[in-house]
Amino acid sequence: MFAARPALLATREPALPHIIDAPVDVELSADGDPRAFIWNRFEHTVIGQPQAVFKRTRWWEDEGTPTRIDTELWRLDASRGGEEQHRYDLRRGADGSWVLALDWG
Amino acid sequence: MTSAPGMDFAHLHVASAYSTHYGVTLPEALAEQAAAQGASFLAVTDRDGLYGAVKHVRACAAAGIRPGLGAELAVHDQEHRPLGRVVVLAHGNTTGRGYAALCRAVSAAHDGGSGLLREARASAAGHSTSAGPSISRARLADLAGLSSLTVLLGPDSDVGLAIGRRDNTDAAARLTHWQRALPADAVVLEIVCHLAESGTVGSVTPATRMLALAENAGLPAVLSNAVRYGTPEEAVTADLADAARYLLPLAEIETPQTNGQAWLKPAGAMRQVARMVVDAGLHDAGALERLLRDTEQLADRCALDPILDIGLGRPRMPEARIIGVTGDPVTELWRRARSGIADLYSASGSRAVEAAHAQLAHEMKTVEHLGFASYFLTVSRVADIIRGMGIRIQARGSGVGSVLNYALRTSSVEPIANGLLWERFLSPERQTLPDIDIDVESARRHDIYREVFRAFGSDRVSLMSMTNAYRGRGAVRDAGLALGLPDAQINVIAKQMWRFNARDFRRALEEKPELEALATEVRESQQLDLLVDLTARLDRLPRHISVHPCGVILSDASLLDRTPVQASGMGLPMSQYDKHDMDPMGLIKLDILGVRMQSAMAHAVEEHHRLTGESIDLDQVPLDDPKTFELIRSTRTLGIFQIESPGQMELVGKLQPEVFNDLTVEISLFRPGPMKNNMPLKYLQARHGEVAPDYIHPRFEPILRETNGVVIFHEQVMRLFDELTGCGLGKADVFRRHLGKPEQLPQIEEYLRERALARGFSVKVIDQIWTVLAGFGSFGFAKAHGAAFALPTYQSAWLKTHHPAAFLAGLLTHDPGMWPKDLIVAEARVLGVPVLPLDVQSSALDYRVEDLADGSQGIRLALPELVGSTETERARIARHQPFGSLQDFRDRVHPRRRTFEALARVGALDTFIGYDRTRRHELLAHIQSLRGTAVVIRADQLAFEVELPVPRYSGDRAGAITSLELRGRTQTDLELLDLNLAVGTHQMTRFHALFKELGVTPASELGNLPGGTEVLLAGVRRATNTPPMRGGRRVVFISLDDGTGPVANVVFFHDAQERVGGQVFQTNYMLVRGRTRRSGARGVSVTGENLWNLFDVARQVKERHAVERAAAEEAESAAAYAAELAAHSSVQRSSSRAGGALHHLNAAQSA
Repeated sequence: MFAARPALLATREPALPHIIDAPVDVELSADGDPRAFIWNRFEHTVIGQPQAVFKRTRWWEDEGTPTRIDTELWRLDASRGGEEQHRYDLRRGADGSWVLALDWG
Repeated sequence: MTSAPGMDFAHLHVASAYSTHYGVTLPEALAEQAAAQGASFLAVTDRDGLYGAVKHVRACAAAGIRPGLGAELAVHDQEHRPLGRVVVLAHGNTTGRGYAALCRAVSAAHDGGSGLLREARASAAGHSTSAGPSISRARLADLAGLSSLTVLLGPDSDVGLAIGRRDNTDAAARLTHWQRALPADAVVLEIVCHLAESGTVGSVTPATRMLALAENAGLPAVLSNAVRYGTPEEAVTADLADAARYLLPLAEIETPQTNGQAWLKPAGAMRQVARMVVDAGLHDAGALERLLRDTEQLADRCALDPILDIGLGRPRMPEARIIGVTGDPVTELWRRARSGIADLYSASGSRAVEAAHAQLAHEMKTVEHLGFASYFLTVSRVADIIRGMGIRIQARGSGVGSVLNYALRTSSVEPIANGLLWERFLSPERQTLPDIDIDVESARRHDIYREVFRAFGSDRVSLMSMTNAYRGRGAVRDAGLALGLPDAQINVIAKQMWRFNARDFRRALEEKPELEALATEVRESQQLDLLVDLTARLDRLPRHISVHPCGVILSDASLLDRTPVQASGMGLPMSQYDKHDMDPMGLIKLDILGVRMQSAMAHAVEEHHRLTGESIDLDQVPLDDPKTFELIRSTRTLGIFQIESPGQMELVGKLQPEVFNDLTVEISLFRPGPMKNNMPLKYLQARHGEVAPDYIHPRFEPILRETNGVVIFHEQVMRLFDELTGCGLGKADVFRRHLGKPEQLPQIEEYLRERALARGFSVKVIDQIWTVLAGFGSFGFAKAHGAAFALPTYQSAWLKTHHPAAFLAGLLTHDPGMWPKDLIVAEARVLGVPVLPLDVQSSALDYRVEDLADGSQGIRLALPELVGSTETERARIARHQPFGSLQDFRDRVHPRRRTFEALARVGALDTFIGYDRTRRHELLAHIQSLRGTAVVIRADQLAFEVELPVPRYSGDRAGAITSLELRGRTQTDLELLDLNLAVGTHQMTRFHALFKELGVTPASELGNLPGGTEVLLAGVRRATNTPPMRGGRRVVFISLDDGTGPVANVVFFHDAQERVGGQVFQTNYMLVRGRTRRSGARGVSVTGENLWNLFDVARQVKERHAVERAAAEEAESAAAYAAELAAHSSVQRSSSRAGGALHHLNAAQSA
């Protein structure tokens, strides 16, 4: 009775993701969620509710005192124009800049 | 009271920094942040208590938002099985019912936390160690009745934990139990999501399931963020808190916080979380808005009115019958005060009586106006209880300025003749509750507390707590622990963490010469660099609470509805509120402070009585004894209350007190305020006639005469204001307090100028006096404090003058002062009072005076000084004294082997060998050679069976056994080993030959030298002081003891500190070069220029001797050879040895 629908964060059959690691511009909605990002000059529109995941770091192994102890990752479905939607991981740096990390296909 | 959607989010589950080792943000910061984020409500729900509650409520009032209060508590069922942790929130608008239920719930959680219940719970929980505070669900259900409380079941509740295990069936069953147990509207599910990775605590999955559970059960669910810190940056500090809580390095913590999202998120971010939670599961269309609306509605329900719900600012005194009053408290107070005046003033003449009655009428007007009659009766009742127990009592603080307190015998200092003011204590203009401090014998403090609890009833009395915050050493230790630095390394650093704030660690590293080595290490190590930052983060955060050393809260029977209590270390209940919370909560606090000097003086009086049968009433001792003042003027003030520190000795020497009021002045001058304002120098110049007293105007002379024209006391400032403006003394005290606030000065000045002109003062006079008053600022000291201190100062000086043996026995027993015991022993030696060695026949549990054969008196070392002995062993020795033989001793005392040997070593068993010290090695060897089985004796203590009696080793010494342990060791060595205290001879005695060779000036002869003489001093460090100094540059006082007399005080100024470096704090046995500095007629100190480690010096001298000896031998043989050959004479070496050694040292130092 509490079955969650296959959510963005649920573990799926591991399709090997493509590592992209490219800086992208992200447009946020009024709520603060990513609404679209521009990658390779094309706008990718986010579909549905994106999910944020904060992953902690072992900051004490690095130099200096951190301002954050976790990294911010957004997993979302997006599509370019009318094309088939892909699942992507976007990473937001401490300085607010965005990197498109993975394309899950 | 709801604002636009999206703008407002109400946090219902927030730990403040008062959840020690968990929350890391202070309530004030949380409230300000919440308000800045547009919130209109904020709850603080500290773990296991309401530790930050009052601060939170006040912070919310200041920030203009509504406060909520709750506590995060562990709950157990009727079989003591744990039900996880829940948040209990108080309902507002219930005329205090919700808040009272919350207080009671917290107290219940702590109350069930002791004894059998705790054990039962611990075993039910499968833990071997005792569990923390926990409340039974049944008790919680009782308290939640009448719609007083809401219980939030979140991820840490048994329901949430079942969800976390993905056991939805169990979760539903457990929820049903909660619903059956608690009132219908009391259960609410709490949704927490920290956006953690899938599969970990704090991810969306359990959160969305919890939401579904609420929907299925038809219960409201609220969203919280289980907040532990205000901003994401503080997540680092929370990691440190976890490490300190688990006592593990960060790298080894199994369940660290999942990520850094437990911060006080603004509304937008919380709505974002809500959307993700709802989106992750199958919920109906209205789920999101319903979640947010339920959250808001619960906040509305839990918003507390500080006055109607919490009773903020409404004082409550014990009921009249409890303080033994049947009629009107005001009438009763009048009656007692009048009768007190008749008793206390009649000897001083009718004018004094009249003046006292007039003053009483004046004071009573305020008391009646403020409705404090019960308060005064309560305090006087407590004072009566204490006095009835035969315990010394002395009021302190501004309350000493009151004739009413004097007449009630709460205070023993007469206020009128001493020029003290009632208004400094209480006036209609003062917005705070009165505060009377009572000093009692420290050794009897706990007895007093128990008696007060008994007399007033434990529902009206509680001890006050205090919050201990992180300071340098603790902060660096916990930061070091978190980083996993080796203990040894942390210890070395921690030892250097003093005399500066940890938050200024980095700056201190740059500025302090003694930290130079550490600064270099920090520059070179990434980890140490991190350590510096982390240490600064922990500084000032609450660390733990403990019972306040003196605060007792007295109230009416509603006390436990207004403050949560928990057991203190001594077993009596302790409020979770600290001294800052007392006034706002209307809690009457009485400071009953244990003062060791009062115990020491009581001990002296008892010893005198035991030996002579005479009773001394210290409170009746005349305050003008010439011999007592002579002793004080000699600066031999070691052991005397308040004036025994090196700085005080110097000031006493300069000031040369002649009358009691001089002591009040002296004590008041030696305070940070007056010191910073250079008052001592101004006063001394006027006192010794170097400058004429400047009263500015004849109308000020009566006010300033007692201090030769220098404004020292708060009371003088108040009188000046009153004289200048006619504002009345109550208003004058308000002005006085505002002098410390620069922004208030223009207003005060305008008022003063206008009124003073009208009252006939010239502009010139006004200019002059305003300069003085404005410069006074917040400096100065209440004369009431000074006078209250001066009394025990005088009394202890009187005892030292007339009954030195009894007084020193009191000092050694109760250790009241700043000096270590061996210095008191040295002082006894100088005063011709021998300290007698430990002896099982005569040593008692405290230091006793013994009459000696030559008619003088000695002090017998006390049994507790024996290192490693147990209380039960010592009690048995004291109970069974004297002993007929060693066997008798063993049979009745049954010492452990360790204690037995230590007693023998140190000579305490010499009685059994006829005090023939040369046979002690035999005695020890005998005891060591004995073998026996360990036996259990009374009080569960192990002892060993010895074969006794001691064999007589007579005749053939060659066949006798011996113990090598004593070989080569002096009695001093043995005493230091087993007693930590050398009473036979001084530990510096063995250096005396070296001192002579080096030309060291004995401390006892320092006083004979003129100022500016270059001297060498040596000795063991007895104290280090860095008193407040004008100009802010640190000055280090080191008190050196060389065994010849009182300590020699060496002052190291900034330049010398730079030269000497860390040694100024680290070297304990030292040689110092400096120049004498006269301080007044009798005092002398030394300005230190350089210092060396005494052991290094001794080694170098020894090495030089060896070289010289070799050279001399060589020269001798060469000479003999030469003489033989050519009859030449050899060259004789001779040089100033001391100079040579020093030259050598200087070279070493500069190298």
